Amino acid sequence: MALLELKSVSHTYHSPEGETQALNDINLVVEEREFVSIVGPSGCGKSTLLSTLAGLITPSEGEVTIYGNPLSSEKDLIALMPQRDQLFEWRTVLNNVLLSPEIKKKKTPEVINYAKELLCKYGLKDFMQKRPSELSGGMRQRVALIRTLVGSPKLLLLDEPFSALDFQTRLSVCDDVSRIIDEEQKTAILVTHDIGEAISMSTKVVVLTERPARIKKIYNVDLDRSLPPLKRREQKAYNVYFRSIWKDLEVINE
Amino acid sequence: MSEEHKLYLKKIKIRKIVVLTIQIGLLIFAFGLWELSAYLEWSDPFITSSPSRIVLSIIDLHRSGDLWLHLGATLYETVLSFMLATLIGVLVAIALWWSKMLTDVLEPYLIVLNSLPKVALGPLIIIWVGAGRSAIITMALLISVIITIISAHTGFKAVDKEKIELLHAMGATKIQILYKLILPANIPNIISILKINVGLSWVGTIMGEYLVSKEGIGYLLVYGSQVFKLDLVMASTILLCILATLMYLSVALIEKLINRFYK
Repeated sequence: MALLELKSVSHTYHSPEGETQALNDINLVVEEREFVSIVGPSGCGKSTLLSTLAGLITPSEGEVTIYGNPLSSEKDLIALMPQRDQLFEWRTVLNNVLLSPEIKKKKTPEVINYAKELLCKYGLKDFMQKRPSELSGGMRQRVALIRTLVGSPKLLLLDEPFSALDFQTRLSVCDDVSRIIDEEQKTAILVTHDIGEAISMSTKVVVLTERPARIKKIYNVDLDRSLPPLKRREQKAYNVYFRSIWKDLEVINE
Repeated sequence: MSEEHKLYLKKIKIRKIVVLTIQIGLLIFAFGLWELSAYLEWSDPFITSSPSRIVLSIIDLHRSGDLWLHLGATLYETVLSFMLATLIGVLVAIALWWSKMLTDVLEPYLIVLNSLPKVALGPLIIIWVGAGRSAIITMALLISVIITIISAHTGFKAVDKEKIELLHAMGATKIQILYKLILPANIPNIISILKINVGLSWVGTIMGEYLVSKEGIGYLLVYGSQVFKLDLVMASTILLCILATLMYLSVALIEKLINRFYK
């Protein structure tokens, strides 16, 4: 059974100024171990879609299921990585990573050990007791990713997690995140406005239309996944996908 | 360390010493001139007092045992009203953060209360809570509590929405968001409110003592001016300077200790 399924999901926002339809009849299936990127023109409703998947918004119409069950009953299988790392300055790195189990009252010795294990595995061993301010931008992003992993979720939701980084860091963090998600055998959905990032990291790229967002096209990306994302950008097919998606978005912008 | 850096550090150190020297020099100069002008009778020490007369006046107070009574009374009222204002202010701010409805309902009242000069309530306070210590504390409390509520609430609302969403996505309840995020994130803000409240509590306490007291520095000030003992008035002012500064410094120290966890 598919890990995630969206069945004709629509959403409308209400404000005193009027109503805005953000999502229009979205149908999408995400299988386990897939890496799905969602791209679209800015303000099209990408974030609304992600908020819906995170359970922060209940869609006006349609349903979202995890392994066939309604999303609300399976929220523990999902973890969100926000736009900026949003580490809590007053907590140590280890305690930041343990935030989710703490909230869920599942901070058992096993979970703590798992968190430490992950931090060690991904090069943060010496930083566990440090404060986030003592870390570089790339390391902070890694901590934010590990924070999503400690609850052992199935699905990771990445909300433009690299947008606050400079270009150089961004490329290396992309490789980092991609490797970690792969090693931990997670499924991920990435919202981004960066076409290159989407193609190089994903198995599937979903292109949305302008608001209200519908699915315009879905690309199954066939690049050598044994290479890190940065290297994937050097493959021939990468440019073909890039041009095609670029065109999809250009048409929309006109 | 390079020679250049040593020179740079030395420059900083020299500058510090120069500043301190001038500061102390200025103080000695001012008090010296004051003392001299009284001694040479350029001015009438009966009106302007003088440093030596102030010292004598303080010693007098100490001998009679009144010094500690007055200091203690004022300090007690200030510290108590300061803590009450902070506690009540933060609690109300939490309530406002909790309920948007409550905020909307109370907003105009808060604006009116904030603009009202609290001293105007003095007569009412005396009638309602009695002419005594509780009136002074109430006055000092009123002066700082409204601004505490408003600034604390502003700080609570300023917490990054994305952080709140992150906690929501983790399935956090509202109370968890409050004590895992809103309160810890606002410690620096609350500390800076404390710094403002120290000053306001002093204003409130002295004001209250003017109105009703039988003891305290405010009482000494009023009493001293009524019987035209300017030495006593000056002595009280100096004592007030020292106490208020000490209290401010202790809050500043707490701020320094806590802020290490926030940068």
